[in-house]
Amino acid sequence: MSTSTAPVVAAALRPGGWGFGVGILLSLAGVAVLGAAIAALLVLGVGVWGNNIPFVWGFDLIAYAWWIGIANAASLFAAVLVLRRHNLRTAVNRFAEAVALAAVLAAALYPILHLGRPWLFYWTIPYPATTGLWPQFGSPLVWDFWGIMAHVVVTSLFWFIGLIPDLATLRDRAATQGRRRLARAYGLAALGWRGSVVHWHRHQAAYRLVAALVLPLLLSAQTVVALEFAATLVPAWHEARLPVHLVVTGLPAGLGVVLAMAAVLRRALSLERIIDAVDMDLLARLLACAALASGAAYVHELVNGLLIADGAPREAFLARISGAGALSYWGAVVLGALLPQVLWRRDLRMKDWVVIPVGMLAAAGVWLDRWSLLVGGLLRDHLPVHAVPYVPTPAEWALLGGSAALFALVLLLFGRVIPVVAMFEIRHEETEAQALEEQR
Amino acid sequence: MSASVALAAAGCDGPEEHGHPLHARARGTEQEAASYASVLDLEGLGRGVLVRTRGGHAVKIEGNPQHPASLGATDIFAEAAVLSLHDPERSQRIRHDGAPQMPRQLNAALAAARDALPPDGAGLRLLTGPLASPTLARLIGEVLNLYPGARWHRCDPLADDAALDGSLAAFGRPVAVLPDLARARAVLCLGADPLGPGPAQLRQARDWSVARRNGRAAGALPHLFVAEASPSLTGARADRRIPLHPAEAESFARAVAATLGVPGLASSGSHAAAAGVAEALRSAGQAGLVLAGRGQSPAVHALAHAMNHTLGAAGTALRLTAPPMARPERMTASLAALVADMVAGQVTHLLILGSNPVQEAPAALGFADALRRVGVTLHAGLWFDETAQRCHWHVPLRHPLEAWGDSRAFDGTPAIRQPVTRPLVEVAYEEASLLSALLGTPLTARAAVTATWRDVWGEESFESRWAEALETGTAGGPAPAIAPPLDPGWDRPGRPPSTGLTAIFAPDPGLREDAQNAWLQEMPRPMTGIAWGNAALFDPQTAERLALSPGDEVELILDGRRVLAACWPTPGQAPGCVTLPLGGGRAAAGAVGSERGFDANLLRPADGAWLAGGLEVRPTGRRAALVATAPPHRPDGSGAVPRLRAGEELPPITPQASLHPSWPQPGRAWAMVIDVDACIGCNACAVACQAENNVPVVGPAELARGRGMHWLRIDRHDHPQAPAASFQPVPCMHCEKAPCEPVCPVNATVHDNEGLNVMVHARCIGTRTCSNNCPYKVRRFNWNDHRPSLDTARRNVEVPLRPRGVMEKCTYCSHRISAARSAAAVEGRALRDGEIETACQRACPTQAITFGDLNADDSAVAAQRRDGRSYALLEHLGTRPRTTYLAPVVPGDTT
Repeated sequence: MSTSTAPVVAAALRPGGWGFGVGILLSLAGVAVLGAAIAALLVLGVGVWGNNIPFVWGFDLIAYAWWIGIANAASLFAAVLVLRRHNLRTAVNRFAEAVALAAVLAAALYPILHLGRPWLFYWTIPYPATTGLWPQFGSPLVWDFWGIMAHVVVTSLFWFIGLIPDLATLRDRAATQGRRRLARAYGLAALGWRGSVVHWHRHQAAYRLVAALVLPLLLSAQTVVALEFAATLVPAWHEARLPVHLVVTGLPAGLGVVLAMAAVLRRALSLERIIDAVDMDLLARLLACAALASGAAYVHELVNGLLIADGAPREAFLARISGAGALSYWGAVVLGALLPQVLWRRDLRMKDWVVIPVGMLAAAGVWLDRWSLLVGGLLRDHLPVHAVPYVPTPAEWALLGGSAALFALVLLLFGRVIPVVAMFEIRHEETEAQALEEQR
Repeated sequence: MSASVALAAAGCDGPEEHGHPLHARARGTEQEAASYASVLDLEGLGRGVLVRTRGGHAVKIEGNPQHPASLGATDIFAEAAVLSLHDPERSQRIRHDGAPQMPRQLNAALAAARDALPPDGAGLRLLTGPLASPTLARLIGEVLNLYPGARWHRCDPLADDAALDGSLAAFGRPVAVLPDLARARAVLCLGADPLGPGPAQLRQARDWSVARRNGRAAGALPHLFVAEASPSLTGARADRRIPLHPAEAESFARAVAATLGVPGLASSGSHAAAAGVAEALRSAGQAGLVLAGRGQSPAVHALAHAMNHTLGAAGTALRLTAPPMARPERMTASLAALVADMVAGQVTHLLILGSNPVQEAPAALGFADALRRVGVTLHAGLWFDETAQRCHWHVPLRHPLEAWGDSRAFDGTPAIRQPVTRPLVEVAYEEASLLSALLGTPLTARAAVTATWRDVWGEESFESRWAEALETGTAGGPAPAIAPPLDPGWDRPGRPPSTGLTAIFAPDPGLREDAQNAWLQEMPRPMTGIAWGNAALFDPQTAERLALSPGDEVELILDGRRVLAACWPTPGQAPGCVTLPLGGGRAAAGAVGSERGFDANLLRPADGAWLAGGLEVRPTGRRAALVATAPPHRPDGSGAVPRLRAGEELPPITPQASLHPSWPQPGRAWAMVIDVDACIGCNACAVACQAENNVPVVGPAELARGRGMHWLRIDRHDHPQAPAASFQPVPCMHCEKAPCEPVCPVNATVHDNEGLNVMVHARCIGTRTCSNNCPYKVRRFNWNDHRPSLDTARRNVEVPLRPRGVMEKCTYCSHRISAARSAAAVEGRALRDGEIETACQRACPTQAITFGDLNADDSAVAAQRRDGRSYALLEHLGTRPRTTYLAPVVPGDTT
């Protein structure tokens, strides 16, 4: 066994440090807030939120679209690495998968919780009910159910299959340390992995298959979210470009979070040698690149909204980008598309104090974009109906903060109990390097 | 909030006790659901109603088609009366100094008080509101006969003493002007608001709409000119609205009168608009009409009489009668005399019947302080209100729907008021029985009313006429017309107009004495959009000068009297005047009515004047708690309401192409047509819908958050050209290609076989995506559980209550469709056109709403669809709405 994976394993198996304990406590407290917010929501109803007519959706669907965007970008990143067998993948792919899974879990809360009667969410599933009623298959909300379910399943599979060899390593380490129960737990999760050539062969096939599945799914998940808006008559939403817009502008959020988390974790868990400077460099450039694409999407949106559209859609777009809607729209442009451009400078992108805020602000920018779409998009409708502005309540802030805490907790637990980067891949790389040297 | 609007009916009133309130034969085939004719008073004058009962409980008020002040329509106050009837905060107990008492203790106290009176009754005073009831007038007359030293005073905060003075000047006697807007061809309103809330609103609005309908058919619309200071419903629909500072009113009226050549004019006036108005009046001749309203000086009222006299309008455009009120007098003087006597210690016994002078009289009059100097005070009223709290004795009164009585309409038509439900408050008294107890001959109110009418009709024909009066809802015809000669010295010019910022006191368009009524409180006022309170209405220029934006708090100061109010810049308000609605800022109107807005009575001069100059305004820099459902100015930027010139036609409504398959409509196709030209924005339809469909009240906090539940909203669209506003009622459009349907993931909103877009509450999981996709935004979501406040005896059991977390919306009153279908099936016949009336249609005073089967070519609704004014809202979206509109017609050249 190579010595290079030792820090990774040590990070997984050593007792939690001081910072880790604080992090866990904070995120647990946040999850408790989330629990309270959910309990209040179920007991008192969605009336505890700030929604009204016409702003029937607010933080709920904004957060949903946002978390999906984060999950998508992170998964997309990891899947591309798997399929291209890129070297970078060795360092950050496991970690990106974990980010994706945690974000999907956070996102999956919302489609159920936002319902007026959440306990009846299963009516969107086509099951043989005694009523003889099927869901309305023409509804984007039904498509959305399939979209989020598929996303949860595939993202979990992707992450889990990649984890199996490393779980076996952990099982072995724990066994040699004499921690029998822990070894048994890891052993169960490792599905009896023995590291035979047949196992490796099947593992690689399954891994690439699921990775290939991830790609179309990523497009479809964001697209379905976008269709919930694009398929309506709301003038600011009824746009064919909306799915592409959501997919493209969602990328900086996910890449930004992966980048920021990578910078934090490599420092906190002393993984600088494994997630090295080249990895960080590449990730930062990817974020800058995604922001550039996002910028292109905004340019297209402006051209479309101001020059091509007319009538109600144009007025609705003007309302989005000016007056009450201006802050969120231009905030999204600045944070999500313009700010990450600083990462094109190598001296800046190699500094943690730059990439962490830039990554998080890029994610915030995408959140503002979703706000601008959901809330700003309703500022002007077909009829001049007087709309009371949507103001989120503490219950909604608690839910948003709580879901972020859930995200953090899942990530922390991943870092604690499972290898945060793929050990087997690191070994694989080392073995390849050795073989190359030997050949010389 | 929910507790405060709860209508918890008294638990002891089981349905089995409620089965037999019947005094007339029921209208309706079922015993379970029946309706009875009765009459409800507004400002002392009656409007005929039919009260629908279910299992003996009064659940809904509708208009009585046979009553001249209703003609089948209702106003918001009549609709809302049924909620006040069931108000759990109604006074339930006899009280002495606030402590509950038994009836025998009251009787003992009353007997002692009677014994303490001197034989001529000196020191005894009666105080009532305005009343036209023949029975109460007779009983009060008998009391005054028995006790010659006693006096009867009245407190009527909305009384227009200037109108009385004007008619005394013109004719030397009090007269009532009954306009016939159906025959008038040119009408000038000098501050009058015939289409606005009031006891004659329903009749006048109907007449006005009939005149417009006939005028459209004949190609010559009648002219309506309104010169007023503050925007009113009539002004909104006027051909020409002239914003007029009250100080200019007399000069304007004189200018018009001079152009008309009115004889006996003491002086002339001038106004740029006068010539055109006068010309239109002159060419209308006998069909010309001038109406002077509240807030005008006696001279303006006299001028209006003189102009009508010159035009020869009597007999055509108007009818003069004796006033329907019992013993007309100057109401403010009546109350002031009482207060003066109280202060002087000349009042020993004061009996206040159904009036709340502590609240309603101007605070400057000092009624509350004077009340402390009276030996024995007794207040009888529906609520333990501000006056009740300051009287020694308080007696709960029966609600008009529980009590016998009688009344007169604005045109003098008498009507018997019969109880339609058993009293919900056991100990409650009737006014007539209290008065007869004072006479020493205790009678039930029924006996008192029958005695009155036995005298009128004579013994032999009494029984048949009594039964007929109860069944039809009227007890005779209107008052005969009189033709008093014009007094040659009729013109007595008024005082010079006051200077500075002028305060105009005005009745709140949505409130009368029913501040406790949550339906009325939550209904946005048509011209301001304000609900759950009031605001001082500023003209936009003054507001700009003072840097005030809507909802800013200001301190209003008048002669040292101060009050804090919200500011509301109102387009159309005449520059230099501030309108202060009366009826807000109550201190003791229960959880619903207390502390809503500000109390303009704190500013009103002691003489009850409608105008006061020298108002000072000081911005406080704070924001007032104001609930407004719309901004002050609502321009129709999107062209939601097309406006036609006379004779113009719109292109016919043609279905847009659609990817969704068309459903066959072989049977009936329900549809609604709303005539925007006829709509006056009175809100009656919206309150009727609320009553009929168990629509919850959400309270000010939720309404301010945009969570109002009204199924039918009325959009006002302001226009730079006359008419200044169009009112467009917006219920569910029942689109044939309903956008809400395909987006619902669980099929909770679907079409039925007659084309109704139905909402399946039980299937709804609350995604709210249907509301997103509704371009009309007519869907309402149950953000909270409103069922506890609705599940009461008042509830219409034919309409289900909706749980928390589901959508709801207008159903086209589908339960009424079902009921009519069942009735037709039982009788073995087809449904007749017009047999089904939705609640909104039934309430509408101008018959602006038509409902029926679009597939039947001869139906009224199909005929209106073919009208050249027919348009669909947002037709270009391809939703193919079943609810369509008829466009308003703008006046020709009227400058």
